[in-house]
Amino acid sequence: MPDSLNFHFTPVDKARPDEQNAHAKASTDVTDVIKAIQERFPEAVTEVVVYAGEHTVFIAGEVFLNVCTALKEELGFTYLVDLAGVDRFQEDAPRYEVYYCFVNLQAGKRLRIKVRVEEDDAVLPSITGLFKAADWNERECFDMLGIRFEGHPDLRRMFMPEDFTYHPQRKEFPLLGIPGSLPLPPRTPEGELTMDPFAAARSGSPAKSYQEPAENDEN
Amino acid sequence: MDSATGYLTTTVDAVVNWARSNSLMPMPMGLACCAIEMMAFGGPKYDVGRFGSEAMRFSPRQADLMIVAGWCSYKMAHAIRRVWDQMADPKWCIAMGACASSGGMHRCYGVVQGIDNFMPVDVYIPGCPPRPEAVIHALMDVQEKVRNEYSVAKDYASGPKKSAVESMNLGILTSDGRTTVGGV
Repeated sequence: MPDSLNFHFTPVDKARPDEQNAHAKASTDVTDVIKAIQERFPEAVTEVVVYAGEHTVFIAGEVFLNVCTALKEELGFTYLVDLAGVDRFQEDAPRYEVYYCFVNLQAGKRLRIKVRVEEDDAVLPSITGLFKAADWNERECFDMLGIRFEGHPDLRRMFMPEDFTYHPQRKEFPLLGIPGSLPLPPRTPEGELTMDPFAAARSGSPAKSYQEPAENDEN
Repeated sequence: MDSATGYLTTTVDAVVNWARSNSLMPMPMGLACCAIEMMAFGGPKYDVGRFGSEAMRFSPRQADLMIVAGWCSYKMAHAIRRVWDQMADPKWCIAMGACASSGGMHRCYGVVQGIDNFMPVDVYIPGCPPRPEAVIHALMDVQEKVRNEYSVAKDYASGPKKSAVESMNLGILTSDGRTTVGGV
């Protein structure tokens, strides 16, 4: 760097080994839980990443639902904190991943699980049956990234209109949207109103691009 | 007739505009953080009751001033337009804040880049969010606009803008036949 360009850089700490990381907390060290999962499901854990004393466990999609059942019923992780999708477009081989954050309230442990999802077959089993909290997060993930959650009771779009055909948080989606994909109301007072937001109130229903779950009055 | 009493002469337009401008009932279309400032605008500190607009009407049928406060998504645009269509004429609209006026910092796929893309706007308020004084100023701008309207006599040519007192077109005809014009 020439001396004339007198930049002032903020000094950056050198990377430290994880044992010495001041931010490492005992609650995120879940070595015994990983061991328990590996004993129960030998093929389940594909990778374990440790950063700042936090374990991130990558679980294979095929056994993911079984692992979650075991986590909830045997290992005490009864609380699902968060769930969201990530698009690793051109960064990682299976394009999408979905992360799940669980908490064991009794043991005071936090567990982060990631599941890789292929682009061609973006399907994951829904854990809404196990954790009710997953319901809207899975709908959001479906809306934004187009990952379908098999077994979800009501997989509608969360934010975008129901007849919208794109998934806006995919990296290839343009930031300013696709012209014409979202209708605006007419500009003239005489124009026909498009997209009825209160269709249900008028005992109609908007066009749906998904399969509705069957009505079940017994439950 | 008692000499202390007199007549008040004016025009129908002036009376109608006086009544309309001093009793604008806002329809608070609060969509985001601007709505918090709109609450302050209606609250006791800034007290929009001084301008006759303290009665926020949550039914569009009873409102004549829509304050769109906050960013408007494409999905919400249809609901706003429906509420706007349900408001009885005459009606006015304030686009409050940068987002309602132009999309603001939300330059993205889901946010309408200014509500004037789908409905008429009378006054735009800049700011993120604007202070309640700015909303009061916008309300006064709408009042001035209302006072300069001709709604009864349709063949008026719209003349130069008049002040609030002039637009009242008030004259007092006292019992001795003398007329004073331009204020009570």
